Amino acid sequence: MHEYAFFLGCIAPNRYPGCEASAIKTSEKVGIKLLPLKGGSCCPAPGAFGSIDLNIWYAMAARNVCLAEEMGKDIALICNGCYKSIYEVNEILKNNDELRDGANEVLAEIDMEFKGSIDVWHLIELYYDSEICGVEKIRNSITRPLTGVKIAPHYGCHLLKPAKERHFGNAENPMWFEELIDALGAESVQYKNKMQCCGAGGGVRGYDLSQALDITNEKLINVQEVGADVLTEFCPFCQLQYDRGQVEIKETFGKEYNLPVLHYNELLGLAQGMSPDELALDLHAVDCKPFLDMIL
Amino acid sequence: MSFEKNYGNPELEEKLRDRSFYTTDSNPEFLKEVEKISRTDAHMCFQCGSCTGGCPSAPRSSYRIRLFMRKVVLGLEEEALTDPDLWLCTTCYTCTDRCPRNLAPTDVIMALRNLAARRDIIPKNFLKTVQAIYKTGHGVPNNDANRAARVKLGLTPEPETTAGHPEFIPGIQKIIDHYGLKDRADRILAEGE
Ligand code: SF4
Ligand code: SF4
Repeated sequence: MHEYAFFLGCIAPNRYPGCEASAIKTSEKVGIKLLPLKGGSCCPAPGAFGSIDLNIWYAMAARNVCLAEEMGKDIALICNGCYKSIYEVNEILKNNDELRDGANEVLAEIDMEFKGSIDVWHLIELYYDSEICGVEKIRNSITRPLTGVKIAPHYGCHLLKPAKERHFGNAENPMWFEELIDALGAESVQYKNKMQCCGAGGGVRGYDLSQALDITNEKLINVQEVGADVLTEFCPFCQLQYDRGQVEIKETFGKEYNLPVLHYNELLGLAQGMSPDELALDLHAVDCKPFLDMIL
Repeated sequence: MSFEKNYGNPELEEKLRDRSFYTTDSNPEFLKEVEKISRTDAHMCFQCGSCTGGCPSAPRSSYRIRLFMRKVVLGLEEEALTDPDLWLCTTCYTCTDRCPRNLAPTDVIMALRNLAARRDIIPKNFLKTVQAIYKTGHGVPNNDANRAARVKLGLTPEPETTAGHPEFIPGIQKIIDHYGLKDRADRILAEGE
């Protein structure tokens, strides 16, 4: 078993708990153990906190890293926004003495110190990494293949960009997420402008909702055009934007899509035999039933 | 960085002075400050427009990332920091990946926002996030419907975060108080009412 401190963030545990539950259960079936990270906070939201003062963003994110350092475990997480804060601040503070000293000065007030002793991973990259898990292992863990379901991938932004500071290389047209989707027995589909942002980030969702929704709407048009049954991502914030966003888009622009939006962990859970009840799919704003009827 | 070319001939310099850009409110220190916070060499921007070309916010608003880059290089502090478009960047980092000068326009935006915030120019929703985190540790706190759902999933009603371990919240409050941010958030929000 590969063990990690499981950093939860906010939206997964507090809005889509199925993302949390499925992460714990699905990872165990492929040799990954997610241990509770006690006392973690908001990552904190890179758009809101980073925009106000990068130094406070560093200090707050560093506190979360310190909790895992005390456990002596690398962090695994399931949200692109959290990845931006926790991964990036960890790397910045490891490599920049001035900024690390600044953060540690503040952390000293609460008897903590950032040491730079651990690494931070998104669970999806551990799933794809053949040394930890790999596509084959995912495929072999499936008991209920998602046969005949067309799934559109949404990569989101912060796991892949800026590419020079991330693990996956060029982010113009990656295909690795499709491999993970196809491993579920489903059919991944390509659509126009696949790599475009969901629209929620940088605080835009809160600052100007209709601007954010207009970006989301463009993505949904492109996804609908290729006849996808489901949209999948690995970021609860993107999930919120696409899922609740469809309700808001209906109110704002009068357009209706009824496109189920599921985190990859939730899809993997279903494909490994978990029931919709074990995933709290009823908390999704868009009804998942048309998709569930295809596989149950 | 010098802002005016120096030919050693005051008459010629006066003739060549670029009146449309080097206005009186141009602050040469501004570029340096932005470059320090953003950790990117903004003055290397050659205005190709690749950034605006791939920006998801550009086609649906007047927000132009290239324009902000130019304003930074020209030291147009006042214009850059008071423009409401500053807050329309989704921080998707597409521009940063595509910039042929290897710059990070996204981080320039973050630096500009930091400088605007020093003047108390901060969107309300950002400040409300600060208040929520100060109180609970979460920007998006738990609620009763969610607690019930968590229990059905076999999870604890409160996650293992600050929600389940509130003894960690004072530490978070100390960090935020170190920067005086909670008091500022309260004050700015109260003034706006
Ligand atoms: S892509 Fe880079 S060089 Fe081109 S205008 Fe934008 S910031 Fe300047
Ligand atoms: S990071 Fe901001 S400025 Fe750059 S492309 Fe994305 S939304 Fe536009």
